[in-house]
This record gives sequence, structure tokens and C-alpha cells, in this order.
Amino acid sequence: MRAKISVERIVHEYFNPSTWQRVRALDGLSLDVPDGEFVCLVGPSGCGKSTLLYLIAGLTRPTGGRILVDGREVVRPGRDRGMVFQEFAILPWRTVEGNIGHGLEIAQIPRPAKEETVRRYVALMGLSGFERKYPHELSGGMRQRVAVARTLAADPEVVLMDEPFASLDAQTRNVMQEELVRIAQHERKTIVFVTHSVDEAIILGDRVVVLTHRPGRVKASLPIEIPRERRRWDVLGAEERFVRYRQEILRMIREEFDAQERAAEAVRA
Amino acid sequence: MTDPGRAGLRRAPSRYLWFTLRFDRLSARALPRGRAAAVAGAAAAVGLVLAPFVLFTAVWALVVGVTRWPEDVLPSPSAVARAFGEVFAKGILTVYAGETIRRIVLAAVTGVAIGIAAGFVMGLNDWIAALLNPPLRFFQSLSGIAWLPLFLIWFGFSDKTIIVAVWYTLVFPVAFNTMLGVRTVPRLYRYAVLTLGGTWRQIVFQVLLPGAIPYIVGGVRLGIAYGWRALIAAEIVVGSGGLGYLIFKAETFHLTARIIAGMTAIGVLWYLTDYFLLRPLEEATIERWGLVYR
Repeated sequence: MRAKISVERIVHEYFNPSTWQRVRALDGLSLDVPDGEFVCLVGPSGCGKSTLLYLIAGLTRPTGGRILVDGREVVRPGRDRGMVFQEFAILPWRTVEGNIGHGLEIAQIPRPAKEETVRRYVALMGLSGFERKYPHELSGGMRQRVAVARTLAADPEVVLMDEPFASLDAQTRNVMQEELVRIAQHERKTIVFVTHSVDEAIILGDRVVVLTHRPGRVKASLPIEIPRERRRWDVLGAEERFVRYRQEILRMIREEFDAQERAAEAVRA
Repeated sequence: MTDPGRAGLRRAPSRYLWFTLRFDRLSARALPRGRAAAVAGAAAAVGLVLAPFVLFTAVWALVVGVTRWPEDVLPSPSAVARAFGEVFAKGILTVYAGETIRRIVLAAVTGVAIGIAAGFVMGLNDWIAALLNPPLRFFQSLSGIAWLPLFLIWFGFSDKTIIVAVWYTLVFPVAFNTMLGVRTVPRLYRYAVLTLGGTWRQIVFQVLLPGAIPYIVGGVRLGIAYGWRALIAAEIVVGSGGLGYLIFKAETFHLTARIIAGMTAIGVLWYLTDYFLLRPLEEATIERWGLVYR
């Protein structure tokens, strides 16, 4: 089967104005994501995980290499690739409803269908009663749920998520994770999910991809072979495979972190 | 099931927000309390605004009473009030104030449009902004009044000269604020709408414009305030009607009380415009947009 997303030897450099240097964020990274797969990206901080999402979204152009989605090269952002940002990027002058329905509005979905979808996501994200509120009247967690709902409501085939649950409290996060998995399976979305949390990656991903320290490449790719029905927080602790995956991924991130430290020291010396 | 009442309500704020905000707030403030309470509240607010002016007038009357300067040097408040009544009764005030108002409205409507458009172009394009910034700052230091001799040569003693002088003063603050507003809209908002499939047109009208609104409104308020001053100055120089001409003409006949009456009219007109139109607009957008981080 042809990959839904095909990242081919991507090199990305950017100019850092504060150090007056070119920084290489990604160094020949290649990655294929089959249609309908839920892939989680983990790696030491600053390894270029977010950069990769921006590149797939088409918000940044790569220095070298190319990215194909459905066999077509990504040159600009598009409705087929939705993105949830780490910071709440919802518009402060739109209400909860207005934000969630924004993508549908842009797609010129007729009003009744739009309102129906908005209502569904409002209920799904536990935002009932807040439809008419403005973002500054919401808690941080609620704002982020609005952002997730906005992206999903627009119904993109590919969903790019940049640590979307990092600012949520533990309970809400668990509920959102379960909902996301359900939506991903039910609507057959291809999801690229960046996270700092190894546990979250194992719970969510069909596969966990570990990146090296900067400049980032793929260090390892681990298919997670725990059945979906066993990936619940309450039973996962007892799952032997979960503990093994966790140890292995943490070890690899640790390796990369140490290598990064050594490299930094070498530069200082 | 759609609740028809709610569906109707839902429509209003999103699209007509700008125009409805003020009235929402006014009625919300007035309605729930009784009529008498509302009237009392309004009276208290007016009293608070007038109090410093009353005090000022009292001091003025006292100075006139003690010094007994001749009326053409410093007329008493009552003489000014008489002069005011006279110009009003003769219809001069209405005609001249009408001229001034017509000019400020004309200049403001067109100048604000020019300023917002220019500000958007500078806000959207770094190169144009970098190129235009130094000359704009240079020209901003030359007040519109400093240009009047040149405008007089170009456009003669006409309305054109006045309008251009007001434009000149008004466009800069509007353009600079709009540019600043456009540039302060977080890049992430643009990115988010792009990943929803937004076109650049949608980015301009659904992200940059609403995001810059608080700045634009602030710039408009400032611009019209500057423009108002330039207008009076230009009317004095051009001398074809208007409140500026009224007070200047009064000087040639040593009608000091009439000068002060005209100045009062200029101040009051501005105060009313600012208090009832510009300030509420500014407050409403900033508050409702939630862009003030409390």
C-alpha cells in the first residue's frame, strides 16, 4: 500500500538571529506513514519534532528533500492536513462555536450541517454550555479542547498534533486520549502526534518513532503490539509489554540526550 | 432539534458584532435597573464630567472680578455666554459649526480608509514597511500646519487645502497603528487558519483585520483628535468658513468674548464626539475581543 505521508530525506535549516548561525534542525529524515496509522513522535527536546509537523503541514518549506501526501508534493498548507498547535491558536474574537466551526465555514459547508457538526464536537469535548463564550473566558484546558475540536471538525485526512494535551490536567487528558483514539479509528484518520510523554506515545500510537538529537533523524521505529482494548490507564500498568516498550524508548531517548550533552560539551571545549 | 429562538440569537454576534456591541452594552446597562435609577445614574455621570469645568469657570469669574481687566482683554464668563447666545441666535454658529463638522466627517471617512489601507500594506509586507518607515517618520515630524503654505500654493484658498491638511495629520497615526496591529497578530493564528484551508483573503479578513481592530480603533481615535486640531488651524489660514475662521475673524473686530465662545464650541464638539462615539468604540472592541489580558 502506498504511504499516505511520505517524508523523503528531509533536510531543514533555519537562521537563528540571536546566535547569528544557521541551525540544522533535520538531517536527511525519512519516514513513511501508511493511511490510517496513528504514529507518535518522541525524542529529546529540540530534536526537530515540531519542525517536522510544520513541514508536513506546509507552513515551512524544507531546505532539502520533499514530502509527499497522497503522492503529491507538499508546497503549501491545505485543508487535507489539519494541525493542532502546542500553544492555543484559537482566535480570541470568535466564540467557542465560532472557532470550532471555522474550518467548516472556510469549506463553505451549509449552515445546518455545520451547526450539527459543531454541536457534536461541543458535546464530545465536554464544552456544552460554553458555546457562546469567548476564549478569554475559558480555562487553558478548555481552550486546548476547542483547538482540538476545531481541527477535527474540519475533517482533515491527516491530523498533525503538536503536544496537544500537554497543558491538560490528568483526568481530562485521559478522556481526550481515549476520544482521540476512538475518532482516529472510527473516521480512519492518519495522525502524526508529537509528545514528550513516552506513556502517552505508547497508549496512543500504532507505532512510536524515536528521533535522534538535533539534527534529527529517525533513530528507531517501534510498532506497538498491545491490543487497543488493553490500552487503558487503569489496566496498562499490569501489561508486561507496556513496561518493556517504555523502558526501551526511555533508554533510547536517554542515549540521545547524553549524546547531545557530549556534543554540546565538545563545542564548548 | 433546533431551538428557533436560539438560532436567531446565534446569528447576530458573529457577523454584526461591531455594530451591535455598543447598543448591547447601553441597553444592558439601562434596562435592568429602574428608569428613575438610570436617570439618577446618568445625572451623576454628567455632574462628574461638568464639575471641573464649573470650578474652572468660577476661578475665571473670580479673576475677572478681582482684576477688572477690560472686556476685550479678558471677558467674564457671562460675557462669553452672551456672545455665545448672540452667534447662536444669529445663526452664525450653526452655519460655521456645520461647515467644520462637514469637513471633519469628509476628511475622517476618507483619511481613515487611506490610513487603514496603507497600514495594512505596511503590516503585510516587511519590505514595504522597511522602505516606508524612515520617510514616514520624517514626514510625521512635519505637522500638517507646517505644510499649509505649500498646500495653499498647490490648492489655493479652498476646501481642498483644508481637507488635505487634515488628511495629512490624520493618516499617519491611523496607518502606524494599523501596521502595528497587523504585526502584533500572532503568526500562529495565521498558521491555524491556513491549516483549516484558509485563503490569503480569509487570512486578511478573518485573522488580521479582527486581530488588528483594537489598534486600528485606537489609531482612529488619535488620528481624528489630531485631525480636529489641524482642521481648526487650517480654517484660520484658509478663511472660508468654519469655527476656526469664526474665532479668527472675531479677532479682527476685537470680539474677545466671541473668540472664547468659538473656542468653547470647538472643545465641546470634540468632547461629545470622543465621549459618545470614539471612546465607547475603543472600549467595546478591546473588552469584547478579550485582548486586554486581565
